Order: sequence, then C-alpha cells, then structure tokens
Amino acid sequence: MNKFISKIGVIAVLLVCFSFNANAQRKKANRDTKQWRYDVECEGIAKQGSKLVKVWSYSKNPKFAIEQAMKNAVHGMVFKGYSGGGNGCTSFKPLVTDVGAESEHAVFFADFFKDGGEFRKYVTAAADGNIAPGDRLKVSKKEYKIGVVVNVSTDQLRKALEAKGIIRGLSSGF
Amino acid sequence: MKKNIIALVGFLMLAVSFSFAQAKKPTIMVVPSDVWCNQNGYMLSYNNQGTIVKIPDYKRAFQENAEVLQVISQINGMMAERGFPLKNMESAIKTLESNAAEDNMRSSKDSGSGVSESPIDALKKVAKADIIMQLTWTINKTGPKKSINFNLQGLDAYTDKQVATASGTGAPSFAAEVPVLLSEAVLSHMDNFSSSLQTHFDDMFENGREIIIRIQKWDDWDGDLETEFGDDDEELGIVIEDWIADNAVKGRFNTTDMTADMALFEQVRIPLFNEKGRAIDARRFVNDLSKKLKNDPFGIPNKLVMKGLGRATIILGGK
Repeated sequence: MNKFISKIGVIAVLLVCFSFNANAQRKKANRDTKQWRYDVECEGIAKQGSKLVKVWSYSKNPKFAIEQAMKNAVHGMVFKGYSGGGNGCTSFKPLVTDVGAESEHAVFFADFFKDGGEFRKYVTAAADGNIAPGDRLKVSKKEYKIGVVVNVSTDQLRKALEAKGIIRGLSSGF
Repeated sequence: MKKNIIALVGFLMLAVSFSFAQAKKPTIMVVPSDVWCNQNGYMLSYNNQGTIVKIPDYKRAFQENAEVLQVISQINGMMAERGFPLKNMESAIKTLESNAAEDNMRSSKDSGSGVSESPIDALKKVAKADIIMQLTWTINKTGPKKSINFNLQGLDAYTDKQVATASGTGAPSFAAEVPVLLSEAVLSHMDNFSSSLQTHFDDMFENGREIIIRIQKWDDWDGDLETEFGDDDEELGIVIEDWIADNAVKGRFNTTDMTADMALFEQVRIPLFNEKGRAIDARRFVNDLSKKLKNDPFGIPNKLVMKGLGRATIILGGK
C-alpha cells in the first residue's frame, strides 16, 4: 500500500515538474516574441490580402516553437516586416511604423498577443503545419530553430488595427 | 452669465466642427506611362513645325490591350479595398467625350445661345487627377523563361514630385502566362506602393499640403513686382513673399523665381483647414492674398486662377 502511495506521489511530482517546465517554456517563448527573437522571411506570393511567410522561432522543445510560430508571424507583420527574397517576393513594411505605438497601446497588444488571443484570427498554418526536414535546426545543445510556413491575412489585420485607431488608413482624415 | 454660456456653446461648436472636418481628398488615377505606350505602339504622331511630336494614344490602348485593363482593374480593386477608390481613366475619357458632344448640341430655350467656353476651358477638358499613378511594365524573355519588370510611380500632378513608388522584377517562370505574372506583380507591389502613399499623406497631415503659387501680370498693367508700396517703400514682390512666409505652415516655402513680371513659389506648405475649420486647397489659400492685394494700400485688381488642389496663379492688373 505504501509502495503504491509513494509511486503515485512520484508520478504527481513528475507531472507537476512537467507542467512547470511546459509553463516555463511557454513563458520563454512569449518573452522571445516580445523581444522580437524570431525571423520572418517571405515564402512566395500568396492570394490577395495575405502574406505567405516562413517564421523561424527558437525553443528548447520543437513543439513550442511550432505553437509560437503563429504568434510570431502576426507579431512580425505588425512590428517587423520582412525584406524581399526569391519567389517574386518584395519587401514588406510593418503595419505599425510608429516606433512608440507598441508601448502606447501596450494593454491592447498584451491582450491581442496573449495565448489564444485575437491574433489567431489572422493566421493559418500552411502545409498543414508540417515542418520540412531542413527547417528543424539544432542551433545549440539545448535549443532548436524551427521554420514554420504560415499564411497571415494582412488586409484583415490592417483593418483591425485601423479600426482600433492604432494605425491610419489611406483615407483617414479625408 | 448668459454671455459665458453663449461663448462656451460657440467654443464647443467650433471644436466639434474641427474634430469632424475632413481634408480635401486628392483624386488618384492610374495612367499607362509614355514608355509603355511607345513600346506597345499606342502613340499618335504629328508634325509640329518640322518636328515630329509623339503623344500617347490612351483611348486606343484601352480599346485594344486587355492586359492594361487587367492591371488597372486589379490596382483599382486593391485601392478600393483600402478605402481609397481611384478614378478610372477609361471612364474619364468617355465622360469627357460625351460631355463635349452634349455641350455642342445644347442651346438655350430662350435665346438659342450655346454653352460658353473659353479657349482655356477647352484646354482644361482632359482626364486629370491630383495624383497620377504612372504604370510601366516590360516582359523580359530569356529563351522560354519569362519575368515581369514592374514600375508604379505616384506623381503629384502639381509639384511634379514622386510621392509614392513600387518597382521590381518578379520571379522568372517557364510555364506561367503573362497575365498571371502581371497579376503576381501587382499583388507583390501594391502593399509597398500603398505604404509609401500613406507616408506621403501622413506628412501632409503633419506639415500641410504642398502647393505651387505663381504670380504673373497682365501686359497692359502699368505696375510690376518691383513697384514700391507703403511708408517703407517695400517692393510688391517682397510684400507677397512676406505674406506667404506668414501664412505657410511653419513658414515653409521656396522662392524659386522672382522677376519684375513674375514670381514662382514652390514647396509652399498650406494648412489643410482654415480658421473656420473648413478644408482648403491652393485656391482658397491664395484667395486671402488676392484680397489683400485688392485692398488698400495696394489697390491692385487681380485674377485668381486655379489648377486642381495644388496650384494657384494670381495675375495682377485686372480680372
């Protein structure tokens, strides 16, 4: 009986540890996003109103990098943009060009980019979320760099930011 | 007490009118460039006193080239989606033609008189916009491989400045048809174009609209811009320059040319609204200068001529 209780105890402790570990990794991934520690590159010409991008995220666990890629992609379109490249890609300026906008609208963006937040409305995984073999790189003993291709609805995202008054539309003021 | 309430209500109404005031919206139109028209054979030639002059034949281009319609239609659609619908050049040309035909046929019921039109009015009857989106593309071919070189320039019709741009060469393809490559080129470049246009508008709201002011005089006027006025014998040219300095946003303007007969002021930044909160353009801005010159101590009758939102000319010496 005692053995059984001790086994249950060990399992419970392990579960708590795993949960803490997962939580810590998620927090680290979110911290990386806030610190803009990810890379966005154009993957090709998407349909009108969207951008097809590959997002490179860093994580100890590849699973978290894939999850975080969606958030990083939207964050990248809003604040970072990307330079052009192959496949007919041209450069893309970030939707928010005002350098102070992120801190000025900190409450909105914190809510927008929280886990499961509104950002998910504007991004979908391309290629069913599968990772190409060359897009899973071990960059150090403890860290992976994972490239995920996603489709971001930039037109819808831009309209949402315009509606919130964070960016100006082309016809604003006229 | 009553006066205070009236003043407060007046202030609130003024504040409300300012907060809802909308600046004059520039019109934008996509126009195929001269280079594109020339390369594709859509030019008209005429002999101007021994010199062969070529001008673009837009009407024939729109009637015969499906690709130009596809590209313009796609650009128009994307700009409309951004809340900024464009003027369609093909429709503008057709409207001008039908208006001209109607004007020729129209006569007064009472006197039988036709519609008045000066030579200047006739000259102004062309398809125009405040910002021209000049479109050029060329198809590069290397064996079976094709790519599109795409160039879209946003040109201010008054200051001649390029206010927005997007250009580049698309990915080469062995299989894709030209219309598909063109569609991809528009898709990949329009965001950059809109973004640079937005930067231009942001600058306009921040620093005022940029306009050009010209001062000219009629032949038969006995004064000129060197005529001296007032106690300090200030030349008229300097008086006008001072007025512009006082009224331009942050006093920003350049005196490009100043002679006894004419003056040209460029990069004049004017406010988007007057003190009543009404949206103004070059004509309304320069109208105040026109009034100043008409009144004492100058007493100079003058004619104010406009060209769109961004160019105004005062001709001194009469209407």
